[in-house]
Amino acid sequence: MSFLAPLWLALAGAAAVPLLIHLLRRRIGVRVEFPAARYLARAEREHSRRLRLRNLLLMVVRVLAVLCVALAAARPVARLAGAGHAPTALAIVLDNSLSTAAVVNGRPVLDRLKAAALAALADATGEDRVWLVTADGRVGGGSVATVRAMIERTEPLAGAGRLGDAVTRAASLARSAGLGGRQVAVLTDGQASTWQRSVAVGDVHVSVYSADSAPPENHAVVAATARPGHWTPRGAVATRLLGRGDSVAYRILIAGRTLARGIAPAPRDTLSSDLLVSAAPPERGWVAGSVELAPDELRGDDVRHFALWVGPAPSLAVADDAGPFVLGAVDALVQSGRATRAAGPGGSGVVSVGPADRVTRLPALLAPPADPVRLGAANRALERLGVPWRFGAPRRGETAVRSTDSSGADAGGALHARDVAASLRYVLIPSGAGASDTLAAAGREPWIVGGAGYVLVASPLDVSATTFPIRAAFVPWVAEVLTQRLASDAGAVVAAAPGGLVERLSDADALEPAGSVERIPIAEDRFAAPARPGVYFFVRGTRRAGALVVNPEPEESLLARLDRRELARRFEGQQVAVFGDVAAWHDALFTTAARRPLLLPFLIGALVALLVESLLTWSGPRASAGRALVAG
Amino acid sequence: MPPAAALATRADLFDPASLAALGRIELIARWVVDGFITGLHRSPRKGFSVEFAEFRPYMPGDDPRYVDWKIVARADRWVVKQFEEETNLRATVVLDVSRSMQWSGSPARLTKLAYAERLAAAIALLLIRQRDAVGLIRFDEAVRTSIPPRARSAHWRRIVAALDGPAGGRDSRAGEALAQTARLIRRPGMIVLISDLLMDVADVDRAVRALRAVGHDVTVLHLMDPAERDLPMAGEALFVDPESGLEVPASVGDVRGAYRATVEAALAEWRETIAAAGGAFETFLTDQPFGVPLRRAFAARQKLP
Repeated sequence: MSFLAPLWLALAGAAAVPLLIHLLRRRIGVRVEFPAARYLARAEREHSRRLRLRNLLLMVVRVLAVLCVALAAARPVARLAGAGHAPTALAIVLDNSLSTAAVVNGRPVLDRLKAAALAALADATGEDRVWLVTADGRVGGGSVATVRAMIERTEPLAGAGRLGDAVTRAASLARSAGLGGRQVAVLTDGQASTWQRSVAVGDVHVSVYSADSAPPENHAVVAATARPGHWTPRGAVATRLLGRGDSVAYRILIAGRTLARGIAPAPRDTLSSDLLVSAAPPERGWVAGSVELAPDELRGDDVRHFALWVGPAPSLAVADDAGPFVLGAVDALVQSGRATRAAGPGGSGVVSVGPADRVTRLPALLAPPADPVRLGAANRALERLGVPWRFGAPRRGETAVRSTDSSGADAGGALHARDVAASLRYVLIPSGAGASDTLAAAGREPWIVGGAGYVLVASPLDVSATTFPIRAAFVPWVAEVLTQRLASDAGAVVAAAPGGLVERLSDADALEPAGSVERIPIAEDRFAAPARPGVYFFVRGTRRAGALVVNPEPEESLLARLDRRELARRFEGQQVAVFGDVAAWHDALFTTAARRPLLLPFLIGALVALLVESLLTWSGPRASAGRALVAG
Repeated sequence: MPPAAALATRADLFDPASLAALGRIELIARWVVDGFITGLHRSPRKGFSVEFAEFRPYMPGDDPRYVDWKIVARADRWVVKQFEEETNLRATVVLDVSRSMQWSGSPARLTKLAYAERLAAAIALLLIRQRDAVGLIRFDEAVRTSIPPRARSAHWRRIVAALDGPAGGRDSRAGEALAQTARLIRRPGMIVLISDLLMDVADVDRAVRALRAVGHDVTVLHLMDPAERDLPMAGEALFVDPESGLEVPASVGDVRGAYRATVEAALAEWRETIAAAGGAFETFLTDQPFGVPLRRAFAARQKLP
């Protein structure tokens, strides 16, 4: 029971008046001469027990009358048994994220949530409006039967979904229905990673059922990446496994062929362990791979997909005056077998390296000439090559360099180095049209830019102009630029969660699932990733232009749950209740609408109390009997 | 106010307070008795003995057969002959004049004492007109007045005068008063006790039994103010007995029912006690016409030889 005007409860203090009167009734100041006082004394003596009882009863009914009036004034409302409920807008939010697929006590959590949702639906009447909102944002409404069918058809997602958005949507639906009762019923496993941010629900009554069973120990592949993305043709698969307690069997596959298998030992102090497996597969082009674990209670995160491009080692044509640092880096690549030296700058697939005025064709890694006199020739060469950048005025003075990779997909070439400074650089001036990425900046100006077939550095790659060549990151960066970004135009790898938004890559017109020839056309520049995890190749015409890897969010594998108090804090609303017991949650539904005003019952109660008081104090029949005693 | 013509006929049936406002006790008693006699059916008793005792003035209601026509013819005086046998009944009115009798529950009503005095005067007049000897005893904590029974009409004036005597004592010792009555009346007679009976039952019981033992006929006229019966007041008060000083704090609303039950029980106790002792008992309220208790007293007289 609650009160709409609780301040009136203060009126209940008046109940002390009859109580005080009852206690102080013998302290009387009025004296009345009454010859028959002996009868009065005798009456009190002979009827003392009855009088005390009667006085007590009078006091009780008077106090009761005052309390009833005070309670009635406070406008109480309460849920009454068998009273039904007013028409209610009920939006059920069903958490069907990947984590709800976990099997607990022999049954998926989602099955329990669905059963609870169906039970809640059983209380709905034809006057109610009911919706179902799932974690992937799917909304369904209409009749109770329709929603029931939707609940029964609901399957767990392959990813986390957006449960917070689903709750917001549900609150909006309940609010917009215009019915007296507005309620959102949330059924969730209470996964901590799902409820990281708060959800505003306003004045809508929110009842949350959070599964109170302990989550199972979960093993998962939370990361699987080909390093580098373009294998020429060697590379490695980096894998991070999640799980504590037991060792777990794993298997790494590339193009359906087992690359490696083994037992990953259980980490002792950390939650995850890393694996790195090198390989040189015979396949060429874009290839799909996966890392698989032995099945456990949550199957959805036991497999993680990755994609890689496999091709021959690139041929490098290095200008003689490229500088000792660049020459040294190229030598290291050649000696490790990751590149070969080309006989000359001509030829297909040859990557040129050197000052811009010495490079005659793309792809090329370009830098300004060491001699400023050759800067004009370098700009002319850039124009001739179709590079949309020009060297401008020199900037002297040490300027810190920072990475600013703005490319949507990791096309390679990003600068992952610290303490890099440029003491001489030329302002890079954009010229003409052409998409390009700023891979590093000095101050607020681009320092390394990359585009189709080129990477351009604003400083000569020499210690007289920059500290970059003497940093440890220099050789890996040169290797990545030459072998990943410039060696081919195979495209990049884009990672996405199931159903997540993805930017279209390289004007691709379709997605081709790995292992299938059925294509999924792409109509928008931003589109929703497929709901099913896996590798999807971007296709332009008949050529693969990159890969979309769809995997569940790594945090979805962390099954730790919020306690009910913490979960309640995630809802910014006026009426939020979180239940761990499904029966209690079920009872709380339709509560707002089922509450009835108790004004009338309390007024009737006060009336009855006053009536009883009148009957107790009325002595009419006895007076008549007394009159009958005397003669007349 | 009753019209004069009506007063001349049935003053016994008028509101006692209104009637009392019209005159003194003597006048009121006459009106009441006149009215009462007018309302009586002719008595079947022919009753006057042949032994002449005295003459007395003719009073309305006297049987014309006993008018001495010779005196009427000679002296033009209307007198009736009274015979000795009529005076065989000796009656005594025993009147409680204690302080409790001086109380009225309402200004519109007579006090119990005022009502009782007028009733006593009327009873005495009625009996004297029947040629009975009537005496009076007034008592409170002691016997205040003691007038032996006489049958002469002038004796009634003495009784009326005695009603103005001292009163208001803090106790009601009816036992002593009744014992005094026994001493006044040697022969068996009629004794009428008029009291509010706010006293011990046992004392009265013993006295009545003693009177009955020597052949007296005892009638107890219990007088109550209506407020003493119904307790109509409201609120909380400290009720004080003017005689004993007993103080009883009470909430009238709470105790009214129990009080009425107690009064009912007390009256039943009085009724049973007096009846067991051989007396007659009747309760009257001070708002009832005088004719009601007068009829009761007259009925008691009629039962006697």
